[in-house]
Amino acid sequence: MSDRWFKGLIILAVFGLVVGSLGMYMRLVYGHLPMNYGSFVPWGLWVAFDLYFLGLTAGAFLITILTYVFRIKLLANLGPLAAFTVLVTLMCEFLIISLDLGHPWRTYRFLITPNPGSMLFWLVVFIVSMWIIYVPWLYFLLRGHLIDWGNDEQRPGHKFYRLLAGSKRVYTPQEEERDHRRSRFLSYLSLPIGVIFFGAHGALFAILLNRPIWNSAMLPLIFIMAALLSGGALITFLAYVYQPDEKLIHPLGHVVLLILLSFLFLEALQFFVGYQSKIPGIVTSLNLIAFGPYWWAFWIVHILLGSIIPAILLIWYPENSKMVATACFLIIITFLAVRLNYLIPDMAVYKLEGLQNTFFHQRLRPEYVPNVYEWLVSVWVISLGLLTFLLGTRWLPVIQAGKGEEEHV
Amino acid sequence: MAKDLPQEDPLVRMQRDLKRALQKKPQDIKWGMVIDIAKCIGCHACTIACVAENKLPPGVVYRVVLEEYTGEYPFVWRRFTPRPCLHCQNPPCTKACPVTATWRTEQGAVIIDYNRCIGCRYCLVACPYAARTSDFGEWYTAGTAELPGKIFGRKAAANDYELHLAAEYGRKWHDRNHDSPVGNARKCHFCLHRLKVGMLPACTTSCIGRATIFGDRTDPQSLVFEMIGSPRVFRLKEELGTQPSVYYLK
Repeated sequence: MSDRWFKGLIILAVFGLVVGSLGMYMRLVYGHLPMNYGSFVPWGLWVAFDLYFLGLTAGAFLITILTYVFRIKLLANLGPLAAFTVLVTLMCEFLIISLDLGHPWRTYRFLITPNPGSMLFWLVVFIVSMWIIYVPWLYFLLRGHLIDWGNDEQRPGHKFYRLLAGSKRVYTPQEEERDHRRSRFLSYLSLPIGVIFFGAHGALFAILLNRPIWNSAMLPLIFIMAALLSGGALITFLAYVYQPDEKLIHPLGHVVLLILLSFLFLEALQFFVGYQSKIPGIVTSLNLIAFGPYWWAFWIVHILLGSIIPAILLIWYPENSKMVATACFLIIITFLAVRLNYLIPDMAVYKLEGLQNTFFHQRLRPEYVPNVYEWLVSVWVISLGLLTFLLGTRWLPVIQAGKGEEEHV
Repeated sequence: MAKDLPQEDPLVRMQRDLKRALQKKPQDIKWGMVIDIAKCIGCHACTIACVAENKLPPGVVYRVVLEEYTGEYPFVWRRFTPRPCLHCQNPPCTKACPVTATWRTEQGAVIIDYNRCIGCRYCLVACPYAARTSDFGEWYTAGTAELPGKIFGRKAAANDYELHLAAEYGRKWHDRNHDSPVGNARKCHFCLHRLKVGMLPACTTSCIGRATIFGDRTDPQSLVFEMIGSPRVFRLKEELGTQPSVYYLK
């Protein structure tokens, strides 16, 4: 990434933090009072962003699995960058979902009074597991470079790098071999954990009774595909920005295209089965997605900008890195619409006949539109993630560490 | 002179049933409710009584009366279905809670520990009856101008209702700030604090049509037991397998 782009994005992130701080102020001082979600649509924009960040997390997972489990050496250079990305997106996910809680300071309750029968409890277990896997994994991948940077007396902050390297000055071939073995072990471990983690997000919704769209065995599979699609697109885009190697970008483009088509097939299947079932709750929810007041989010943002145009670019220009990166960028920025379309319409249908005529209050209506404070809080979290990512790529050897030195894959 | 002897008011019988139930071991009691929708006139007195009893803030409601319209003019019917928490014997909401902040008591009431609830609202999403609401911290008097009055300021007088602490679960809750129950899921709890002192739930005593019957559903002498045996009885969304403790009579 050029210095001009880097500085521009830093300014953008700082600007986002400043602007978003108004939303954070409202959230921290007035709690959930200024927000628009209610009791019939209790999960809003922040939960959609939680799912969005989850999808981005899947990119690193995809790279890890392809590299270390399926031994595709070509992608090995992306390892450290992918692992760092997953930690940043996990941080964003954790932050935004904490802000969505009524009592975020009580999260210690997950340890003291856990409910192993709750899917949400297992989700937290898997989020923590992802941290436990990816933090040491990143460390093992970076350790050699951290030692080098710590030994470089001319480098600003070399003492900090030495501290991170555990005061080591020499990185022996034996230690390097051991770190590679550990990395490989963690990636093997990440395969079942990651699949369950992404599937558990779908299961969180799929197990609920009387939720016409969610209550389906297909939903966890759709969530896994959705996560791999947005995450794969992110990593491909980052690969283009940081390591524009055609041999790397083109195969990634093929993978993203394959996942995009599989995802669209599953989505079409969901609509087909839903409409054919003619169950009023399902049909009403699907109608809300396709023909409701936010039809444009589905047809224009998701289908046209996030699916058809990227698919055309990936099919017609598979050997053009810029086009592949553009297609991936489009998928990433439009994916929030997919998440909102999975989340809101199911809740936006009255669960009991007659509920609409009974009690009038803004919190007891199925209509939900995120307000400016919800957007500002989201902007703050995204900006923090962007700033952390940018500074991390400069201050940690995540790019340098991955330049053709992964012969142990 | 009337040919028939005057009937005993169901409230009197329910009060007697309650007194008998409270003499049993707590684990032997199973609270239940029967709502006769043929008797409900849609006055919403139960909703208001519940709000007043529990000092519910705006947007939080434990017991609503569903209103359905059928037919076409001039042949139009309205049907009223009061819907408290159904206190399912197989509750989906308690299974959803990640921190065991909500559970079914041995007497069959589904309750919430406000000081344990993290406010994730997963239970709201999990309840198939939309019987849970979240307390977002609203006040009825928010935005009311503070004007001088002879004895109290106008707002101070209006505030009095909200500053009166609710007695849910037998304890006085905080003033409305960031503390619980603000930020929590909230729901009907069968007025456990009233039952404890021998009083029927507020919705039951306020029902002018005597459409709401409450008591120990395992007591063969109780009115609620008798009503559950009616051929008119049904439960909401029984196909979901939630086994509500609230029954309806067609």
